[in-house]
Amino acid sequence: MLANGPAPAGFDEQRLDVERRALLSKRRGIVRMLSPGVADELGDRFRPLFDAYAVEHPRRAGSRAREDAASFAEWCRAAGELSVKRKARWKFWQSN
Amino acid sequence: MAGITDLGVGIGWRSEIDLTVERLPGVDFVEVVAENLHGDVQRGHLPESVRLLLERGIPVLPHAVSLSLGGADPVDLTRVEHLGEVAEAVGAPMVSDHVCFVRAGGLDSGHLMPVPRTKDALDVLVANVRLAQQNLPVPLALENVAALLEWPDGELSEGQFLAELVERTDCWLLVDVANLYANARNIGTDPERFLDEIPLERLAYVHVAGGVDHGDVYHDTHAHAVLPEVLGVLDELCSRVSPPGVLLERDDNYPSDSEIASELAAIRAVVDAHRG
Repeated sequence: MLANGPAPAGFDEQRLDVERRALLSKRRGIVRMLSPGVADELGDRFRPLFDAYAVEHPRRAGSRAREDAASFAEWCRAAGELSVKRKARWKFWQSN
Repeated sequence: MAGITDLGVGIGWRSEIDLTVERLPGVDFVEVVAENLHGDVQRGHLPESVRLLLERGIPVLPHAVSLSLGGADPVDLTRVEHLGEVAEAVGAPMVSDHVCFVRAGGLDSGHLMPVPRTKDALDVLVANVRLAQQNLPVPLALENVAALLEWPDGELSEGQFLAELVERTDCWLLVDVANLYANARNIGTDPERFLDEIPLERLAYVHVAGGVDHGDVYHDTHAHAVLPEVLGVLDELCSRVSPPGVLLERDDNYPSDSEIASELAAIRAVVDAHRG
């Protein structure tokens, strides 16, 4: 369910799909919350990219949500979907 | 355990609404998610807001989400130990987690997954709960989860499963009426039968939460308003037993203070209606 494996015997496939989507949505929401800058830069691409990443990279037991967010950003950079350099931060003496 | 007799009405403390929780009227107790308290809790390093609530004499109950006691993997005793440290840091009379698993096969689902309701799965759960109890300084309450799917070949109803768990481990029950409503909607659990089957004298307290209706599926989000139907399940529970406490869980998409206050008031009204 987390890594696109085959449906186990005896389960209702439609229900498995509901569960799979619910888990994915929760994970995506947490990553969006933890790295709003990445989500903003990706815009409409955030969701399909995250979903593709998530299936390739199910969360390992013991891993943290922040590691998931960092790993997704890294994955996007490697795929050329996210700018490699962070945007220049505002210097503290510049007022915005 | 005679400690929990009347907790009243409470709300889950979250750092995002710490000031709200502090200033809301009618908060008799709070829960903290044990995994969200990091650092040196055994030396009293708690969030300032939690310390303030404790100074006011508000009970703070640690609630865990990661023990994965329904799983086949060995219990992670460092997580149990952390839960116990949080309990001691806040002077809690009890701690809780869920009847579920979150990890299996080296992966983390990121959510509370239902366990198969078979005798074999119950044996595993019972063994894990006993081990956790032996390593905790205070009693453990276990909560029913919201399931979006059923395991095949279930041998017991959810109520029977929990009743047997209590019988064999002497744990307490934390009944989430929103999860009960979700299961009624999504997998056809009968809330009245559930309430008939569980040992209500072992009820520690009750959770209430909001969710959203997606038509064919009810999603227990903790990010939307509490449905009247969920308060209906609370009413059904209160018609059978006076719950020692009822706690509102809100985890995201936080509304205004006044909306939270009115949800707490609605919960209190249901509880009080049965107290006469």
